[in-house]
Amino acid sequence: MIATDRDEAALVGQSIPRNEDQRLVRGRGRYLADVVVPGCLQAVFVRSSIAHGRVRSIDTAAAVALDGVVAVLTVADLPHVPLVDGVQIDGLRRTPQSALVHDHVRYVGEPVAIVVATTTAMAEDAADLVFVDCEPLQAIADVDQAMDPDAPLLFPELGSNCVYRGARDHGDAERVFAGAAHTFTKSFTSHRSAAVPMETRGCIADFDSGSGRLEVISGTQSPHLLRRKLAVCLELGEHHIRVLVPDVGGAFGQKIPASPEEVAVALASRHLGRPVRWIEDRRENLMAAPHAKEQRITLSLAMDADGTFLALKADIVGDAGAYSFNSASALIEPYVGAGLLPGVYRIRHVAAAITAVVTNKSPIAPYRGVGWTATHSVRELLIDEAARALGMDPVALRRRNMVGTDDFPYDSATGMHYDSGSYVACLDTAKELTGYEEFRRRQAALRDEGRYVGIGFSPYVEPTGWGSEGAQQSAWSFASHDTVRVEVQPSGHVLVFCGTPSQGQGHATTLAQVVADAVGVTMDGVRVIANDTDATPVSIAGTRASRVAVITGGAASRAGATLNRRLREVAAALLEADGQDVTLSGGVASVVGSPDTSVTIQQLAAAAYFDPALRSRIPEPDLVVSQFLDPKATYSNGMIAAIVEVDVETGQVHVDDLVAVEDCGTIINPAVVDGQIRGAVAQGVGAALLERMVYSDQGQPQSTSFVDYLLPSTTEVPPIRIAHHCSPSPYTVNGVKGVGESGLIATPAAVANAVADAMGPFGVVIDELPIAGGRLADAFEVDAAVTAGGQ
Amino acid sequence: MKPNSFALRTPDSLEEAIGMLQEFGDDAKPLAGGQSLVPLMNFRLAQPEVLVDLSRIPVLTGVSHEESGALRVAAMTTHRALEMDASVTTSWPMLGDALPLIGHVGIRNRGTLGGSLVHADPAAELPAVCLALDARMVLQGGTGTREVPAADFFRSYFTTAVRPEEILTHVHFPPPGQRSGQAWLEIARRHGDFALVGVAATVTLDPSGVCQDVRLVVAGGGATPVMVPDVVERASGRQPQPELWNELAEHAGAALSPADDLHATANDRRRLIRVLTRRALTIVADRLDGRGA
Repeated sequence: MIATDRDEAALVGQSIPRNEDQRLVRGRGRYLADVVVPGCLQAVFVRSSIAHGRVRSIDTAAAVALDGVVAVLTVADLPHVPLVDGVQIDGLRRTPQSALVHDHVRYVGEPVAIVVATTTAMAEDAADLVFVDCEPLQAIADVDQAMDPDAPLLFPELGSNCVYRGARDHGDAERVFAGAAHTFTKSFTSHRSAAVPMETRGCIADFDSGSGRLEVISGTQSPHLLRRKLAVCLELGEHHIRVLVPDVGGAFGQKIPASPEEVAVALASRHLGRPVRWIEDRRENLMAAPHAKEQRITLSLAMDADGTFLALKADIVGDAGAYSFNSASALIEPYVGAGLLPGVYRIRHVAAAITAVVTNKSPIAPYRGVGWTATHSVRELLIDEAARALGMDPVALRRRNMVGTDDFPYDSATGMHYDSGSYVACLDTAKELTGYEEFRRRQAALRDEGRYVGIGFSPYVEPTGWGSEGAQQSAWSFASHDTVRVEVQPSGHVLVFCGTPSQGQGHATTLAQVVADAVGVTMDGVRVIANDTDATPVSIAGTRASRVAVITGGAASRAGATLNRRLREVAAALLEADGQDVTLSGGVASVVGSPDTSVTIQQLAAAAYFDPALRSRIPEPDLVVSQFLDPKATYSNGMIAAIVEVDVETGQVHVDDLVAVEDCGTIINPAVVDGQIRGAVAQGVGAALLERMVYSDQGQPQSTSFVDYLLPSTTEVPPIRIAHHCSPSPYTVNGVKGVGESGLIATPAAVANAVADAMGPFGVVIDELPIAGGRLADAFEVDAAVTAGGQ
Repeated sequence: MKPNSFALRTPDSLEEAIGMLQEFGDDAKPLAGGQSLVPLMNFRLAQPEVLVDLSRIPVLTGVSHEESGALRVAAMTTHRALEMDASVTTSWPMLGDALPLIGHVGIRNRGTLGGSLVHADPAAELPAVCLALDARMVLQGGTGTREVPAADFFRSYFTTAVRPEEILTHVHFPPPGQRSGQAWLEIARRHGDFALVGVAATVTLDPSGVCQDVRLVVAGGGATPVMVPDVVERASGRQPQPELWNELAEHAGAALSPADDLHATANDRRRLIRVLTRRALTIVADRLDGRGA
């Protein structure tokens, strides 16, 4: 839509085909299961089959006796320091988690013992023979049970199942509500879902008893964080642990935390002095890997008589599962979600009561969009309900209340400093692309034929990048700076060392684009290395929080710019010119005004490394640059619009059209951005209509295969139409903002609003996601019965 | 998700396969595409010691049309082969409706008619279709061959009339009658999922144009595909008109007792039976009129 002035030769901004696709698309990637470690044993976990109980005994005798079994280990064999979250928020209680259960089982799937055998099949046979004798305790399957004063406690030492209760108050919402012309309230449940990466979790741990060093190969998003957690749990120095990351088939946040299983595998390897591999199967992944997004929210909106939004009040209860997990604690859902309550709107008064409780379910961890999906969804649903109640157009109502184009930078009531954006423009573009006015006419005509179509809009703003300032603006303790090292090799090729591996996002391409531009070389001469803690500078947080483009990319760009300057100095020396007069791009340095006077990057590197004569002019021709970056906060924005048709007799929802208008500032690679959006929007369709991790009232997970946990596929997600706006950040390197999570923040509400719009004649209120189709058909049936009765 | 240790046998003839089933008894299980059995084994819900793979037995594959107009399908014929065979889907449009809804193409390339019928998932398409089309199952065991009508074949959840040493070799579909129409309709949460509810409908008119025979079979309504009772009685001699379809739809919804699960409540299913019955009968009527595909 809006082009920015950029160097036409620049690689940044071009849809360069991804470097990694030659390997990955042709099946030549090397994932964890492809890694061959000689002598490697295979591990399978014995997991709790009950949700809550006390372990009386664990009988491993039959399992140990089985052919091929090397060891069956429990926590008694593998003493260690438990995992605990590092979030620093007053009032948040800690729930240390042992890698293998001590005596208190807290969720179905919790690892109780680890079986190590020569093959996985043998280990599975043996795991079936381990008998865990448990005294069952009453299972806590929902937040109401958890908060019942008579409820059994998951952590008796805390005296409560509530791990956090607090408030985030900005302005004076109570007073404003008392005087408001209109107030609207809704209760809403965001059901539990899961990230479900195509490649499940897993690791290989290899402890070298000679050197005392531990090498771990894992699909982790945060290799340095995993190293740090392993160092604590195993009481090893970080310098004695190396974490390597192979190709990874998706993560979406689930692979941020150090898993108890990874710790247990490392402990088993140290205990046995042999390499041990664990690859999670799909049933384990659905049952025992972290889940996400379970919140129960009551939200109220106060409005002026003319439709101006005034204030929000929220009561948010997050279900943390069995532990306030080691990655980002129980607060990753309710507390983080509260920070984004005002969204794109000018709302000056916000009051949120926040509670987090533990229950006997798999722990909650970050999943794309974290706690924002739930708070965003309830706000956008409530706005549509308010518009319906007042007879206002929901899109016009949003437009009227949005932070305007001239309002940037804008400080939100909750303390976020929106650096730049295009909220209104994205709304207008989405209106245009969906043919909004025409759609309303078509909708009316179709209703006369007994067909029910609806449209939903969901504008978003997303905190991205998350430097220290961004973390502070989200009232979150999260060290998120990074260091990147860029080296020009003697051949003139460039290596980029960073601690943010890719799980499919295409970093090998996008970071190479950034660095090639900054150094002034061609892209095929740049290689990104992000998979080895022994080789790369520390990344304090790894790949998460839409931070790699901003932080890794920004640091890499700056390092590249420094190298560009140094290389131009070398060129100036070789060409006997002034450094100011030398340019370097595309791998060739030349003197301004005399393009024939030039030298190649190969010659420059060779001179810097090998030419003693150069030293007289440049004493330290160092082509290794390390760059630290802790950027200021930056916020991307956009709009998702959905058109659906509801078969009112059956409750089936068909998504007819999806439009995504996004603004992530300067785009590094449009094809990669589009891919991020498509993936997240598809997950958002799943969150709206399909994906729900169901537990029984005994805490038994019910959605433990793909028969019952339903992911959207090409048959449920229509082609996604994407448009771009570009509001470069004034604060980040190159004006880049993060992208990738917003589709899952905003799409559920867009689809749900479209469903509610389609069902408008029948007064349907969407109070949970995913939507249960049967409830839509119920509403139609009730309406039809009333109509028939009235005739 | 690794199966128990098991032996795989690959007989080349039906006699050899039956011999193996006799030899190993309850420990053996025929493998007929593996689209349900292998996942069950990976979950260790099925733990056969011997798998007898039927895929290399030539007589178990193929479609033949008999002079009477009947269709004879060998049990190891894949869903995809049937779906792509116009001689099947033109004369038996119910099969044409149902086959593309079974899983996805990859599954239909491996899954077989016989495998689906013997697995007998009550929510699956083909058991209900066979019941509606009055198919006969041809079973071969050590002592010879016998035929079991579809109405007697499905006994309960995942349970059929097939004895441990028997193999389902063929399915026999009688010729579609004159002035007869048929359709299959289902609702699943996603394309390719097992149906929440599926409805098979056939309508045969007498020469004067009133209903002579109407059959309704529901998948997802009980422990087996269920033939809705008392349909002929209600429909016989009536005009093939929307009033009748509505009446039969209400009747079908009331006659069955479906169950709750994660994906739909019993009430949802009853409603779907009602709605799909009406819609399926409407499609059949349109086909009888030469309207609609």
